[in-house]
Amino acid sequence: MDNRITSYCRITNDAVVVNGEKHTIPRTDSPWLSDIYHAENLSYPKFFKMDNLAKAGFLGAELTLKDLNIDKTEPKQNIAVICCNRSSSLDDDTAYQHTIQSADNYFPSPAVFVYTLANIVTGEISIRNKIMGESAFYVLEHFNPQKFCSFVRGAFSDKTIDACLCGWVEYFNGNCDVLFAYVTRNELKNLDLHIENLYK
Amino acid sequence: MIYQISHNIISPLGFSSEDNFRAVKNGETMLELQNTAFSLPEPFFGALIDDDLLDTEFARINTKKFRYTKFEKAAILSVSKALQQTDIQPNSSRVQFILSTTKGNVHLLENADGFDSERVYLWKSAQLIANFFGNTNEPIVVSNACISGVSAQITAKRMLESNECDYAIVVGADMLSKFVVSGFQSFKALSKELCKPYDKNRVGLNLGEAAATIIYGKTDKPLPDNSIVLVSGAMANDANHISGPSRTGAGLYLAIQKAIDGFATPDEIAFVNAHGTATAYNDDMESLALTSANLHERPINSHKAYFGHTLGAAGVLESIISSLAITDGTALKTNNLHERGTVAPLNTLTENQSCSEQKFLKVLSGFGGSNAALLFKKFTQHNG
Amino acid sequence: MEELILELKKEIIEVLNLEGMTPDDIDNDAPMFGDEGLALDSIDALELIVLLEKNYGIKLANAAAGKEVFKSVRTMAEYVSKNRTK
Repeated sequence: MDNRITSYCRITNDAVVVNGEKHTIPRTDSPWLSDIYHAENLSYPKFFKMDNLAKAGFLGAELTLKDLNIDKTEPKQNIAVICCNRSSSLDDDTAYQHTIQSADNYFPSPAVFVYTLANIVTGEISIRNKIMGESAFYVLEHFNPQKFCSFVRGAFSDKTIDACLCGWVEYFNGNCDVLFAYVTRNELKNLDLHIENLYK
Repeated sequence: MIYQISHNIISPLGFSSEDNFRAVKNGETMLELQNTAFSLPEPFFGALIDDDLLDTEFARINTKKFRYTKFEKAAILSVSKALQQTDIQPNSSRVQFILSTTKGNVHLLENADGFDSERVYLWKSAQLIANFFGNTNEPIVVSNACISGVSAQITAKRMLESNECDYAIVVGADMLSKFVVSGFQSFKALSKELCKPYDKNRVGLNLGEAAATIIYGKTDKPLPDNSIVLVSGAMANDANHISGPSRTGAGLYLAIQKAIDGFATPDEIAFVNAHGTATAYNDDMESLALTSANLHERPINSHKAYFGHTLGAAGVLESIISSLAITDGTALKTNNLHERGTVAPLNTLTENQSCSEQKFLKVLSGFGGSNAALLFKKFTQHNG
Repeated sequence: MEELILELKKEIIEVLNLEGMTPDDIDNDAPMFGDEGLALDSIDALELIVLLEKNYGIKLANAAAGKEVFKSVRTMAEYVSKNRTK
């Protein structure tokens, strides 16, 4: 079965694979996601303000879109951004909880709190790429290609949508598990199988 | 047609949709100053579901004696009360549970209270809710910030239309906690008194607790008069800022256009039940979007000064109240609105008034730049 | 004052995650918000309010109150030196 998905990216704890090609990411003392950012020569200072979930989703989207000719400055109403994962924003929830846990050191952080909404990652990706189509975030116990594709197909039920930037974006306690894909309307056939194969 | 089979609201104003609607129609609210809740250093203005009342009602249905959190109890009780009005077998493989929430059991991060660590995952709550009714299909959680409850209804509609299920049980719920309230306090987003949606002197929002359920089904046959049909729904992103609303309302305008295009003209819309959080920026943004959509002269209301912002429950709860309002022929006022004051003038209602049109629009906007709109219709033999 | 300015710059870089910036990159008088200078946004402003409270014991009521204070690092330093309680 040939790969019918326009472009995709897979990020795990030790590898970055874009359209089947493994990228070399030199390790430094910085966190893994920052190493990827630098190795891929990305330039978006807001990246460093994001929580880990948004960083993981941002990288997945950037690398997936890298070789597609998509103008990041032109508003686009015909692309949807759909993400799902297992741990919602628990990574950042835990970080925020630390800022309020003790009565003696109680300083709730707005910059941390804002990322305690899982769908902020879809917002970051939409802002970066000026995507104005639907954006949505779903939570499942495990990666489930049937449900994942149900969400993607659902996004295409909006007739104004021509493409969907979709991703499984999991980040919690240092564990990173990302699959991002750019799917166009005519790639919906057998999408479940393609997505399942890419995730393996 | 995708239509509402039954619904329920569990809120501080009552434990049935009808009690809640009656209270709202009478202008009642349980929003008040909370001085001691969650041992916060600063008080906040909000509305909490009474723990004892919830426990008493929940004990009647919880025959398994399994221990649930307040969030789970409210959601299960709401689903149970909605199911009681139907003959649906909730354990059927053709029934899909969809949970709309932003923070679920997040309060367990502070104190696990004897629950295992898995209990803080949103999918776990969704499973417990579905399993309570014997349903073993994988439940879906929609976590889309403030628009979750509308997103979840759009998801339900799509799954019904693509024949993935015969019934979709959409339950929206969020409870308050030190976590949630302190976060909104750090945003300086809360009003210290009853919020004033669309008012010139609005200074911020109130938070509230609620669980609300709508059970959706589909049919090709004519429905009984006054059934509520979910005609269409759409979402759009501002692509502007993660926490500040768009200054132009472009994203909300786009969502509204997609929801009404081909389905309704402005003069067919009885009222728009908008977000109306009573923050300066949100209400101004909405006024611009509604004006662009040529809806600014239609009656417009917000329910936030009755319930507060109920987060993941808001889209479901407010859709139910609005459904009962259109059945009642009433366009509800915006509570605590004294002096209109949005950047673009809106026909925001300061008194309940009667309405005869058969469609209404529900819109929400939220963090992450998300916007959503739903178009509902009251079914009659004439318009079906 | 110069010492406080340097201290504030270090704190700003840290709490706002201004990756790759050093205190020398921040002009004492350049606007912190808007399209020029540091180009900070509304969440940054709220985070600076937390910084003032946490490190200097200064409570600002709302973001609007911060507008004058956070014009530049210098105005921030002047406000801190006048109002600090720790």
